[in-house]
Amino acid sequence: MVEQPSVVRASIIVAVAALLEAVLGPYLTFGYVSPKFALIGIVFAVSPLRDLQAVLLGFFGGILLDSLSSGLFGVGALAGLAAGALSSRVSAVRRKGTERVLLSQVVAVSVAFFGLLGWTARNLAGYGGPPLAEYAVAGILPDALLNAVLAYLVGGWLLKIVNVKSHAWESR
Amino acid sequence: MGRRKSSAASGFAALCALCVVSLALFTVYVKEGDCSSQGECGPLHTVQLGAAEVLQPVRGVVGALFSPIRETADRVGDAFDNSEEERLRAELRDTEALAAQTSRLQQENERLRGLLGGQRAVYEYGPLARVVAPVGDQFSERIVIDVGTEDGIQDDQPVVVGENTLVGRTTNVSRHTAQVMLITDRMFAAGVRIVPPAEFDPASSEVSPAVTAEDVPFGQGMLKTSLEGYFGVDYVDLSLRAEEGDYVVTSGRAAGRDLLEPPGLYVGTVESATSQDIEQFKKIVVDPAMNPDDLEDVRVIVGWAGKGS
Repeated sequence: MVEQPSVVRASIIVAVAALLEAVLGPYLTFGYVSPKFALIGIVFAVSPLRDLQAVLLGFFGGILLDSLSSGLFGVGALAGLAAGALSSRVSAVRRKGTERVLLSQVVAVSVAFFGLLGWTARNLAGYGGPPLAEYAVAGILPDALLNAVLAYLVGGWLLKIVNVKSHAWESR
Repeated sequence: MGRRKSSAASGFAALCALCVVSLALFTVYVKEGDCSSQGECGPLHTVQLGAAEVLQPVRGVVGALFSPIRETADRVGDAFDNSEEERLRAELRDTEALAAQTSRLQQENERLRGLLGGQRAVYEYGPLARVVAPVGDQFSERIVIDVGTEDGIQDDQPVVVGENTLVGRTTNVSRHTAQVMLITDRMFAAGVRIVPPAEFDPASSEVSPAVTAEDVPFGQGMLKTSLEGYFGVDYVDLSLRAEEGDYVVTSGRAAGRDLLEPPGLYVGTVESATSQDIEQFKKIVVDPAMNPDDLEDVRVIVGWAGKGS
């Protein structure tokens, strides 16, 4: 028996995660901190996929998040793209048994990037925002840590869903 | 090996191309029409409006599921929070003081009613709207209500709870839903006046002629959440009156122009008013009258007496 990643399952995970974030996110927002289901979904779902698949799925997951939420269009797409690309590169160097830890770190980096990107985009669009130092300490840092912990807790389960067990002769 | 290299190269090329696409989408979104005027709704905003329509039933179900959880959490929080009890005691003292003034004010109101005449704010309401769910990210304070363009709702119309307590302003209105940018959202701003309690009746929106007349000594400025994060009134001149406990109401007009909100909508009370000689304006912190967690039914004001005159 060998494990093969399923693109369809990965796509479904990303779509459901984006939907969850758009619907549940506002209820679970505490100050600047909120669970980033979409980024967690993207990082874990695309990690076993090939580079091009990972990048495309990350981008379209971000587009879906932008469409479902009322945020600035393009920010989610860029963050999803970065999360997909990072996850894909990390999966190339990982060792067996350390996937969850490594991918949780990728989630933390992606969430921090998303936060910084959102802040920059709001300022570029003229919407204003909190001072960067305050936001970095009270927003980006705890947000990244919380989501990394959340990712570590649910990551193993997500990886199991994406990877389909098949017989060796089926995968050839 | 060769296949892996090829995948990495195509992945990198796609990454670069999609980065450019993302930036292009962001630019288009910011530059395109934001649906605030008829016929100027850009494609990306339209996509978000369509998604909001599709998600409305889901958000309604989730909102109903979360409602008892939030109520329980509030109750538990209140049980451990003494400040709420102290706040209620202070409120009771204020109410008793106000009650003592009631008889005098009733007589005064009768007299003022005649004087106010056409200045009394008369609002035309849209249909009663149910709050479906909160939306947005950590930077915004918004809710979705279940009325839209088919109910005569447009962008930038004031939303109230009860008769006249300002909740926010409509934005991103689709056929059956509308978002409400709450007054505590960082993007919200409104022209307001700061009125002593004796000069304003929150129940009826009636304000004394001294407030609605020009050249009034009472404080006026712009209501907004500041960059420091407090909800207050900016640009109130040091020479103008603004004291703790005063009411904050919308002014309706500024520099001879109509604002988005009609005059007399009740926003909240002044929590603190401080000033320093080196500053040009007072620092006024406002305690909002509305609580986003308690909102269930709201109304959109679609017109009012004197609008556009």
